Amino acid sequence: MKYLEKSIKEINDLLKKGTIKPIDLVEEAFERIEADKDLNAYITLNKEEALKQAKELETKEVNNLLFGIPIAIKDNILTKDLRTTAASHILDNFIPIYDATVVEKIKAHNMIIVGKTNMDEFAMGSSSRTSYFGAPKNPWNNNKISGGSSGGSATTIAARHVPFALGSDTGGSIRQPASYTGIVGMKPTYGRVSRYGVIAFASSLDQLGPMTQNVLNNALLLNVISGHDPRDMTSSHREVEDYTRLIGKDIKGKKIAVPKFLMSDIVDSEIIKTIEGVIEVLKENGATVDYIDMKYLDNAVTLYQIIAMGEASSNLARFDGIRYGLSHKDPKSHEDLYLETRREGFGKEVKRRIMVGSYLLSGDNAKTYYNKALSIRDDMAKEFDKVFKKYDYVIGPTTTTTAYNLDDPMDDPSKSFMDDVLVIPVNMAGLPGLGIPVGFDKNHMPIGMHIIGNKFEEAEMYRLGSFIEDKLNLDLNPKGGE
Amino acid sequence: MSKYIPTIGIEVHVELKTNTKIFSPSINGYGQMANSLTNEIDLGYPGTLPTLNEEVINLGIKAATILNCKIRKQMFFDRKNYFYPDNPKNYQITQNRTPIGYDGYVEIDDNGVKKKIYIEEMHIEEDTCKSTHRKDKTLLDFNRAGVPLIEIVTKPCMTTSTEAKLYLEKLKELLFYADVSDCKMEEGSMRADANVSIRKNESDPFGTKAEIKNIGSISNVGLSIEKEIERQAKLYDEGKTFKEQTRRFDSKLNDTVLMRVKETGNDYRYFPEPDIPFVVITDEMIENVKKTIPMLPDERRETYKKLGVSDINTTKLVQNRSLSDYFNELLAEKTNFQIASNLLLGDISAYLNMHEKLIADTTLTKERFLDLIKLMEDKTLTSKNLKDILDDVLESKKSITEIMKDKGIENITDDKEIREVIKKIITENPDSVNDYKNGHDRAIKFLMGQVMKETKGKVNPQVAMEILTDELH
Repeated sequence: MKYLEKSIKEINDLLKKGTIKPIDLVEEAFERIEADKDLNAYITLNKEEALKQAKELETKEVNNLLFGIPIAIKDNILTKDLRTTAASHILDNFIPIYDATVVEKIKAHNMIIVGKTNMDEFAMGSSSRTSYFGAPKNPWNNNKISGGSSGGSATTIAARHVPFALGSDTGGSIRQPASYTGIVGMKPTYGRVSRYGVIAFASSLDQLGPMTQNVLNNALLLNVISGHDPRDMTSSHREVEDYTRLIGKDIKGKKIAVPKFLMSDIVDSEIIKTIEGVIEVLKENGATVDYIDMKYLDNAVTLYQIIAMGEASSNLARFDGIRYGLSHKDPKSHEDLYLETRREGFGKEVKRRIMVGSYLLSGDNAKTYYNKALSIRDDMAKEFDKVFKKYDYVIGPTTTTTAYNLDDPMDDPSKSFMDDVLVIPVNMAGLPGLGIPVGFDKNHMPIGMHIIGNKFEEAEMYRLGSFIEDKLNLDLNPKGGE
Repeated sequence: MSKYIPTIGIEVHVELKTNTKIFSPSINGYGQMANSLTNEIDLGYPGTLPTLNEEVINLGIKAATILNCKIRKQMFFDRKNYFYPDNPKNYQITQNRTPIGYDGYVEIDDNGVKKKIYIEEMHIEEDTCKSTHRKDKTLLDFNRAGVPLIEIVTKPCMTTSTEAKLYLEKLKELLFYADVSDCKMEEGSMRADANVSIRKNESDPFGTKAEIKNIGSISNVGLSIEKEIERQAKLYDEGKTFKEQTRRFDSKLNDTVLMRVKETGNDYRYFPEPDIPFVVITDEMIENVKKTIPMLPDERRETYKKLGVSDINTTKLVQNRSLSDYFNELLAEKTNFQIASNLLLGDISAYLNMHEKLIADTTLTKERFLDLIKLMEDKTLTSKNLKDILDDVLESKKSITEIMKDKGIENITDDKEIREVIKKIITENPDSVNDYKNGHDRAIKFLMGQVMKETKGKVNPQVAMEILTDELH
């Protein structure tokens, strides 16, 4: 029984013909997930409900391509009646009373949610090791991290448990784990996907996106989750297009920029060599590739820290033990309730970011740091605007190294930000970024490439991504055999 | 008189009269079962986002316009971060750096002297939830969480409690007339804080200020300011100083009570609310809002006086907005406005109060009311007659003359006819005429009685009395 290895089109045909039923897919997914329990990809499984839903679908018409297909949801996205923890002790008893907008859309397409995936606590981290539930493991080497913060979603996709997962990306949290695990991850343009029902980390940067085994699936899921949401004022009114429409088209005449910073000595030479190899392929196929200078890219991490931690300190203030989540028993006063609940409930990294963020917004610091960061961020966006006047894509490696060891020290808090140094500029500028696998290092750990597009050019990015995917034709199954 | 000069500034919060809350589709209502008007947004659930209610922007523009404020064309919201159980997100969405209105004023009339009370700024924000303290527990009602507010802050430009009270009365009247808020202080839809300091000379810097929070009525605002001035003066007289502080007015003690001394300045860690994009206010939006502003109280008073309505009636009419609105319908007509105001404020008001109705709930259309005024003016209808037919006037759709006919009211309006009757009565009652001429005033009442009897009450007593007096001389 290996239906989940087939293409979505093939599965859809089998479902339409009645050769298989949704329950076959769900059962297969849980067999795979349970066999890989050690990977710790999930915080909460939705088995009973998923099986029930699959049964119910048997009476319904197979009305869309994703009908009856299992999907995993990152645990910072609210699912009604299904525990949502953001990988934090403070929410480990939290059962949402409503569905996030994306979850409504997924349910409306009759996709089946198998569970909630592991992640860094409140998405704060880059290795998923800040999870209250322990870190997920990389399917390519169980001693390695899957990256983060969407490490559980990356793990379940790389391990071929399910064809689709949702992640969230505030500063690389979809693309970096995608790179570490050899999968495809898209952070769409800010505003393309509704944030309603996503536990906010840094509101001006957060964006949801699909994580999949191939480019086509990625575009299919983006088709489902995109669109304006009247409940999210930052979501775009721009119409949703078919993001698969340019997949398989050639890239002749496309202009590609490679910022020198992204290929500088902060990146491992093996990764640089792999990316250079891809660049050669692109040139051979009629694209032009220029190495360019870009301002501000090296400031991105600093700006990100200020903005993300400032916003996070405010966003996480609501976890106070009064209305939901962990609540300290028998507090002496309401101050005591706050202090004890938050002391018990938040992990170290989250506390660190709340403290730094509060400091950054405090008194005159807001002017010195936060407001200044916002203004440099505008300059960075303008710098990208300039580049996109001349070029169709900006490319480079996704990460500076491949996945490192789970037991590497966590004593340097800035390390986790540096893991995302190449992908953070995209969040700062509100642009879409696509991570695709392009090779392996000497230890056979995946190497990822990062494609940056202009705002709302996701379809164009899938064109390039699928072209490279097709040319490289890598075996991306950690267990081999594809 | 005190040797100190007080400086007073007032901050007012008013709840806006919108259908739904400022950032969620929950109903904006008062007096409902606790926590029945809430959803996940009002409760500050994880993942929720604010959606700005456009009604709020329009009411903000309206308030800014009637308070003569400049309007910010591009504005954003800020987060004010502080932990408190009544603050569901532990931040309040407000406007710190780009208040919708600024540099405005309200004109008060202090015993004939006009003075402008300057408004520093007015901004939009969300209300907190309501906490009720019970022994060792605090109960939270989130119905109020997310109710839209505007906060209106004056400059420290008032020097007497009277000015403060007049300002609040004027503000209340304006916001109520413009339908911005129902301004019920007793229900908390209008709340006032007073900042009070005193100094010896105008050239001195402002003294240390005390803020008196959440005062429940306009008269208590006046009282608490007076008490606070006294308290501060006494301290200074004794050579003492005090720290900047927050106080409240205790209506049982009739005095202000210390709540907390301000330590260092509060650190609210303001930053622009990232969940709400910039709001752009266009000239078109402002024009559209202006069209919805009705005639305001000052203009009404001026207009009524010009039309010959007495001062007392003018004041009373403007105090009752629904009657004043009804009265305004007549402004383009040719009629007797004093009689109109007398009718509205007299018998009609009595009827409305008794039946707990609004004038709009009666059958008194403008046309029927104009007829009524005319019949009263030409004395076809007496005040007594009106009392007899009032219910029909206000409840049926029949014309006034028809109602009169039904009730058998046919007054003799022809003076000649009345004079004939009177002459006849005088001839028939020579004794009474003599009594009258000998100075017995009661005799004329007897003669009037005879006139009324003869005419079966169908003459206007005022008219009859005039003619009778005339004939007797």
